[in-house]
Amino acid sequence: MTALIETALSVNGERRILDVEPRTTLLDALRGIGLTGTHAGCEHGACGACTVLLDGETVRSCLVLAGQCGGREVTTIEGLGTPDALHPVMESFRRCHGLQCGFCTPGMVLTAVELLDENPSPTEAEVREALSGNICRCTGYAGIVAAVLDASSSVVSE
Amino acid sequence: MKPPPFELLLATSVAEVVGALAADDGAKVLAGGQSLVPLLALRLARPTVLVDVNGLDLAGIEVVDGEVRIGALVRHRRLERDATVRASAPLLAQAAALVGHPAIRHRGTLGGSIAHADPVAELPAALLALGGSVVVEGPDGRRTIRANQLFEGFLTTSISPDELLVEVRVPAAGPSTRTAFCEWAPRVGDFAVAGVALVLDDSSVRAAVCGVATRPVDISDAFAPLMGAPLSDAVVAEVAARVRAACAGDDDRAELAALLAVRALREVA
Amino acid sequence: MIGDRVLRKEDARFLTGRGRYLADHDVPGLCHIALVRSPIAHARVRSVDVTEALLSPGVVGVFTQADLEAGGARPMTHRLSMPGIQPLSWGVLATDTVRFVGEPIVAVVATSRAEAEDACELVEVDYEPLPAMVDPRAALEPGAPLLYPEWGTNVFFTAASPAGQADAAIATAPHVLTERVSHHRIQALPLEGHGAQASVDPQTGGLVVIASNQQPHQLRTVIAETVGLPESSVRVIAPDMGGGFGAKQHFTREECLVALLARITGRPVRWAQDRAEGLTASIHARAQEHEVTCGYDDTGKVLGYKVQIVADLGNPVLYFSGIGPSLVTIGCLAGGYDFGPVSFDLRCVATTTCPVGAYRGFGQPEAHVTSERVLDTIAERLGLDPVEVRHRNFLPDAPRPWMAPSGARMDIGSLGPHFDQLLDEVDYDGWRKRQADARAEGRFVGIGLSTLVQGTAPTQYGVAGRFGSWESASVSVLPDGSVTVFVGTKSQGQAHETVFAQVAADALGVPVDRVTVKDGDTAALPYGMGTWGSRSAVMGGGAVVTASTRLREKMDLIATHMGGNPTFDQIAEEVWWHAHRLPHHLEPGLTSTVVYTPGNTIPVPDAAGKTNFEETYGAHMTCVVVEVDVDTGDVELLDAVLVSDCGRVINPMVVEGQHQGAFVQGLGNVLHEEIRYDDEGQPLTATLIDYTPPLATDVRDLRVLHREKPSENAGGFRGMGEAAIIAAPAAIAGAVADALRPLGVEVWSTRLHPHHLRALLRAAR
Ligand SMILES: Cc1cc2nc3c(=O)[nH]c(=O)nc-3n(C[C@@H](O)[C@H](O)[C@H](O)COP(=O)(O)OP(=O)(O)OC[C@H]3O[C@@H](n4cnc5c(N)ncnc54)[C@H](O)[C@@H]3O)c2cc1C
Ligand code: FES
Ligand code: FES
Repeated sequence: MTALIETALSVNGERRILDVEPRTTLLDALRGIGLTGTHAGCEHGACGACTVLLDGETVRSCLVLAGQCGGREVTTIEGLGTPDALHPVMESFRRCHGLQCGFCTPGMVLTAVELLDENPSPTEAEVREALSGNICRCTGYAGIVAAVLDASSSVVSE
Repeated sequence: MKPPPFELLLATSVAEVVGALAADDGAKVLAGGQSLVPLLALRLARPTVLVDVNGLDLAGIEVVDGEVRIGALVRHRRLERDATVRASAPLLAQAAALVGHPAIRHRGTLGGSIAHADPVAELPAALLALGGSVVVEGPDGRRTIRANQLFEGFLTTSISPDELLVEVRVPAAGPSTRTAFCEWAPRVGDFAVAGVALVLDDSSVRAAVCGVATRPVDISDAFAPLMGAPLSDAVVAEVAARVRAACAGDDDRAELAALLAVRALREVA
Repeated sequence: MIGDRVLRKEDARFLTGRGRYLADHDVPGLCHIALVRSPIAHARVRSVDVTEALLSPGVVGVFTQADLEAGGARPMTHRLSMPGIQPLSWGVLATDTVRFVGEPIVAVVATSRAEAEDACELVEVDYEPLPAMVDPRAALEPGAPLLYPEWGTNVFFTAASPAGQADAAIATAPHVLTERVSHHRIQALPLEGHGAQASVDPQTGGLVVIASNQQPHQLRTVIAETVGLPESSVRVIAPDMGGGFGAKQHFTREECLVALLARITGRPVRWAQDRAEGLTASIHARAQEHEVTCGYDDTGKVLGYKVQIVADLGNPVLYFSGIGPSLVTIGCLAGGYDFGPVSFDLRCVATTTCPVGAYRGFGQPEAHVTSERVLDTIAERLGLDPVEVRHRNFLPDAPRPWMAPSGARMDIGSLGPHFDQLLDEVDYDGWRKRQADARAEGRFVGIGLSTLVQGTAPTQYGVAGRFGSWESASVSVLPDGSVTVFVGTKSQGQAHETVFAQVAADALGVPVDRVTVKDGDTAALPYGMGTWGSRSAVMGGGAVVTASTRLREKMDLIATHMGGNPTFDQIAEEVWWHAHRLPHHLEPGLTSTVVYTPGNTIPVPDAAGKTNFEETYGAHMTCVVVEVDVDTGDVELLDAVLVSDCGRVINPMVVEGQHQGAFVQGLGNVLHEEIRYDDEGQPLTATLIDYTPPLATDVRDLRVLHREKPSENAGGFRGMGEAAIIAAPAAIAGAVADALRPLGVEVWSTRLHPHHLRALLRAAR
């Protein structure tokens, strides 16, 4: 084992110090501190299940090394809402049956949140395009796309 | 699927990077990580040291003397959206928009894509079509490599292992310049099976194709019938035939390249 | 309640990242397993040297099959006892021979997965290569290299029905069609990989195993057998699952390995399959080739139907074996049609590739694609509309249930009116006109149909020699009036916590939010059958209805005894807290455990030679409209409609979600996904860059309409989880064929991916 490196960063608004091997991905480091909502679907950048926000932008946490994240801000699904206080996009996912097994869901929700931040009222085609890096094997995407559109209109009407 | 062990150096200057690369044959640059980290996960790359260059100040975009100069660390997402790039090097913005998905484009860098030299990647083909160049810095200082001298084969360039790509330069688009990048990939964000980059202005046409060989291929000659002739169906057919011939080898990719060349032509025409 | 779009109880935790999947069960001291897998398709293993690996940092132990046997491992077998099947047993790890790339040889236990992988690289295996055998047809040739020389053949299993009647009907038919239909290899690809974790249970000295498995109770049986423990000393927990779709239905070497290594090392251990292992060394599916011969008359009525099947099993080291899907295929060749006499001939062939087994649909998509291609082709050859040809071949409307000559008891509604509803909904005639207009403009639009009758809730007895068709549930009303339900099925995303709560709430007469459903724990119920075969609503739902109804009846009795219209909660309190006030004969408490079966199946031939493998049937009519870009081979969906009869609909939102998801998996089958090998048996699809399921941009919404005809089983459910994955490939293949017909392209394969279509189109030019 190579020497551990100490990385100080902010995770969901909390300062955390990670002691990680150089090879440890952000995905494994987050899971290692109990944030298991970030899922490993492929570990080679091809499924989107591990999506988190790094300084506010979606990234695949399996393609970022934890040691690169010193001084950065990470937001995981756990930082976005809780069962008692769902984020509005989460509410839409629930309302529109945008999830089945839930494995792709954290990545989908974070990707959707970023889309709606940039483009509060996307078209269906724009929603599909924005989500196209995230594989869902269960839903056939229908409920997910409906949820994002639902969230966009609810954001507008608020 | 975990990477093999390596050391991680968080570099803060070009000199530090070059020093680290020169000191250890097994050292490798880590930029956006969107190609390298998957290779690590699959244990297809085994660096001893990864030199993280993300702390370097190599993200400038400026137009100098008719040349657009873009720092190696400019990320695909920025390339896609930056006003200067869209105005002065629109082909790079068009190509960048086709790389992977937004979460990948948030990390992947222009320098990384070019240094990686994947034969199915868009940005190397765009650089070749633009007749651009890269500036690299090594133990012996800086040098410039023209795009047509850069791509040597599958994932291989003429950048030596102890050099860092610091900047990409392409001629700035003129008032009459029109560009297009047309590709076909099985799904959105997939690597292209074939892609055609086209740069057309009043006096010249340049084009390159990705996907058909072990490196991007300059197919400007195939577009020669265009010069001085109106864009008739016959000219289009002739260009398609020449592209097909230039891409011979794999029927499917050659057919696609011809089709995409025509689509690119129609887009700029 | 039943019939309502109740929002899902499981969503809040999944949405907020609070689900607990296999890899979310860290415990102190947890160790991780990585496997040395064969890099060669077929080889003799001359020697294995683990000395260096043992010295690698973090390593707790390195194990070969000999070590496992010393630790009590027993051989694994396919457990099939059909006549003509080859004997086959295997070790948890391979010993002297490997027969596919990815076959496990050595297991490393280390304090992290990364360190375990490091040590795997230090294991030296000396291989003597043997010839690879990738193509099942070539494997049938005389002189072909043999995977198991002791068999004298590569054929693992054959079955054939008497062909006389079908042959005679075909011989005298006015028209005969003979074609070869290829169903290529794909895989289920749940987004969460397979995996298991085990630790020694200090109480029993046995094991607690957490496994991402669709059938925890049966896994318990297999682990107990392989490890050598009584079933009572093994507890299997199936936690939240990131999909399964059949890929987590088998009882694998790795699950047994984890159990053994927990005992041998005395430490908690986990193996979490990574994606490369999942794609190359788990379970593949489909991989059949059909030669179909069909006699028909001038009206398009089929008079006799015969299918010869070569099924590629890969290396069949799988319990239950990969022949399961083929057995289902031969059982549903004619689907909901009256094809006259039907015969089959099945050869299941071993090849040096990853084992082939379950994937949602399980043998049915293959049968259905073939029958739908045949009907469309008959229509084309006779110049008839495919709609007309289907009407001509549907099972007659009476009697019900329709008793097929085989013994199948088909309790479905009338198919003709159901089909007509679909055609109206999709505007079939309008699309035919739009298709003609498009063709005039040089665009290629096609319409495809699937008229599916699907057997559901099957018995597994005929395949596995155990495990009949029944299910258990335990329902309790607690003293405060809240309700718990335990079921033997296992949700992998199908919303069982919600739908079974609806079923119980409906039968008990309480609000849904009073009911908590749990599944996936062998400690909660003596036995259960798990989730597969579109069975959970029918069997689990049936069990929950039955148990809940019993409780409600008891509560009604007590209410009468109490007098004065007591509330639900008052009755609950009375039964538990004031048991002395109950009528004398009445047992205190409100808990009911049932083992439910509708009892319709005949798993082994009865006196009349009849069998019936399905508890009930659903009917699903699908139409898709596509446009094919003949330059790129891209297929775009213009419309897709499914009119579905799954009996009583518990939750329309969930049913629609299941159909949507299954439809897109079926679309992926024909337009995107293919597991490929080179001639040397090297996998070419080992990453998700190469194996490419559909993305959000590749699909459009399926329009789902419900046509509800309750079954006669408890609750009236019919099951539907697999329907659309069976329908979609057939309907899409039909649509693509219809679009490309003017160009002289015929579709006899499920490979309709853009590059395959481009090749077909180039060949046709
Ligand atoms: C799912 C997925 C889809 C993708 N789709 C596409 C696609 O469609 N088209 C496409 O082109 N790419 C695609 N990519 C890869 C692309 O996103 C990468 O960004 C790009 O190829 C590499 O850039 P990077 O900055 O990430 O480089 P890294 O991964 O960090 O490095 C790549 C290689 O270049 C070297 N390198 C990097 N920077 C320098 C430098 N400044 N000087 C010298 N050497 C350097 C590294 O040592 C390494 O060998 C995809 C990636 C994924 C995961
Ligand atoms: S796990 Fe990171 S993209 Fe799949
Ligand atoms: S809900 Fe299961 S993968 Fe998306």
